[in-house]
Amino acid sequence: MESRQPTIMLVDDDIDFLDLNRHVLERAGYRVVCSVARSEALASLAKEKPDLIITDLMMESLDTGFAFSRQIREDPTFRDIPIIIVTAVGSQLGFDFRPKTQDDLLAMRTDAFFEKPVAAKRLLAKIEELLGPRKPE
Amino acid sequence: MNSSGLRILVVDDELGMREGCRKILTSEGYDVEVAEDGVAGLDLFKERGNFAVALIDLKMPRMGGIELIEHLRALDEDVVIFVITAYATIDTAVEATRRGAYGYIPKPFTPDELLLPVRNGLDRRTLSIEAKRLREERERRLLELAVERSKSSTIISCMTDGVLVINRDRQIVLQNAAATRILPDCAAAPLPAPMERLGCTGLQALMEDALTSGPGPMIASREVALDRCTYMVNASPVREPTGEVSGAVVVLRDITALKKLEVAKSMFISMVAHEVKSPLAAIEGQLMAVLSGAAKDSPGQEKDMIERSLLRARTLRTMVSDLLNLTAMETGNFVIKRSPLDLRKVAAEAVESHRERAETKHIELILAKEEGDADGLVLADRDSMFMVFANLIDNAVKYTPEHGRVNVRIEQEGICVRVSVRDDGIGMTPEEKDSAFDEFFRAKNTYTVHVPGTGLGLTLVKRLVDMHQGKISVQSEPGKGSTFTISLPTAE
Repeated sequence: MESRQPTIMLVDDDIDFLDLNRHVLERAGYRVVCSVARSEALASLAKEKPDLIITDLMMESLDTGFAFSRQIREDPTFRDIPIIIVTAVGSQLGFDFRPKTQDDLLAMRTDAFFEKPVAAKRLLAKIEELLGPRKPE
Repeated sequence: MNSSGLRILVVDDELGMREGCRKILTSEGYDVEVAEDGVAGLDLFKERGNFAVALIDLKMPRMGGIELIEHLRALDEDVVIFVITAYATIDTAVEATRRGAYGYIPKPFTPDELLLPVRNGLDRRTLSIEAKRLREERERRLLELAVERSKSSTIISCMTDGVLVINRDRQIVLQNAAATRILPDCAAAPLPAPMERLGCTGLQALMEDALTSGPGPMIASREVALDRCTYMVNASPVREPTGEVSGAVVVLRDITALKKLEVAKSMFISMVAHEVKSPLAAIEGQLMAVLSGAAKDSPGQEKDMIERSLLRARTLRTMVSDLLNLTAMETGNFVIKRSPLDLRKVAAEAVESHRERAETKHIELILAKEEGDADGLVLADRDSMFMVFANLIDNAVKYTPEHGRVNVRIEQEGICVRVSVRDDGIGMTPEEKDSAFDEFFRAKNTYTVHVPGTGLGLTLVKRLVDMHQGKISVQSEPGKGSTFTISLPTAE
């Protein structure tokens, strides 16, 4: 049972969000690995083999999260890992990164998109939805 | 005709003739002067000038009448010259007229035979002077017009904005140098050239708008991108007095720099939005977790979350006040009051205010004074200097791991006071060092992610130092620490 515990990788340069989400996800029974930068996350992918990745959008630059998600999608080993992007960037100021439709999400190669802070319930529901089909083999 | 003040010169070698003329003419109100031969007559004319009429005898000693006529004509083209001669022949009359005489009066003559031609001659003189005045005025006007036209064309050709004029047949009839530079495609074409030659549909559409505009003043504007530059293009119709549109004037202004500024501004606003929303979202998320009881079971977790929310709230408040300070500096509302200031004293206060925090991390925080070190007397604003020290010491303590060391030193260096804040903390990579003073820049790594900060502290420090005509520099190496050095001119 313990070995079947799905692993979720959290990538965020905001330590509070890492801690908060780690807490929420661990309570829900997931194994959680944290990274504070895209490079660090990419380096540990092979070792951690996450089942799902939750990444912040704006880290080193405005759209680090998208670049990160693209890199994962281009890697044959990891391309099927579901990715959730979270961001504090609002839709105001003409700086809208939020996808409007499922097609937008596909175009951005992301499985879900949330604005921070995400309510634990919604996040967990989305994770369950994304991980559902691959549960106990 | 009022004859008073009109001056008449009589040149005759016969005294009787001279005096006879004087008598007749004076009685009519003319001002008469006489000379007994050509030389005397010429001297008098040169000396007194401004004669309206000259009555000249042909046969005189020293200088004859014909020669004198030539001289007078050269001196004054308006003077009316009569030849008075007893030997009136057609030949001499023709010769005299050819040399510039108006007519001849045969001797002897009655008073009326003298006065009538003189009056006619004067009338003619008035007319010719008036005609000359009109001619001169016309020439002056023409010159003014030419100058005006060359002025206008100089102005148009020297304008930094591109100017194009098209007629109603959609042909370019004028383009200035700037327009040629902006639209090199239409430069080679001889004018008039078809509008299509511009090869820019946006521009053509705008011209079409101006040409087909209804009555009333109308200016069509749009931004047009050409060859990596952006232009604000204004097109206004040229109207006949009847109101009919006969063409359009198009002005292209390069607004590339403004556009860049606009992008930079919205980038900045987006960054501010992100930097403000992130801590707010963190605070909200943590409070949500506490309220939902999600952290109830792990001991200390709730308190920890609330404490961290508080820390984020405080950082956010600092950031807003830093932002307001930076904005005030940009708008010139940030006033610095310079007075003689002992930097060592200000540094000591800043060091003391960070003492407690340094001690909790077991960091040795020292304001060093070595042999020969100056007190650092400068002309500066106390609050600004405190802000500079506080920010630098705060950073040094933040980015130095436990049991490290932060050293503040003040030295005299020539005409400057040099302040340095050195730590043996985590240091910066060359790239991080280059961006250290940029707004919202924060080095991102596993250490700094745990350090709260606004990314505005060093920006503020640099602006404050700049405002004091000082210099700030940084030496840093990853893992070996950073040294920030400020140079300020010594107080006189």
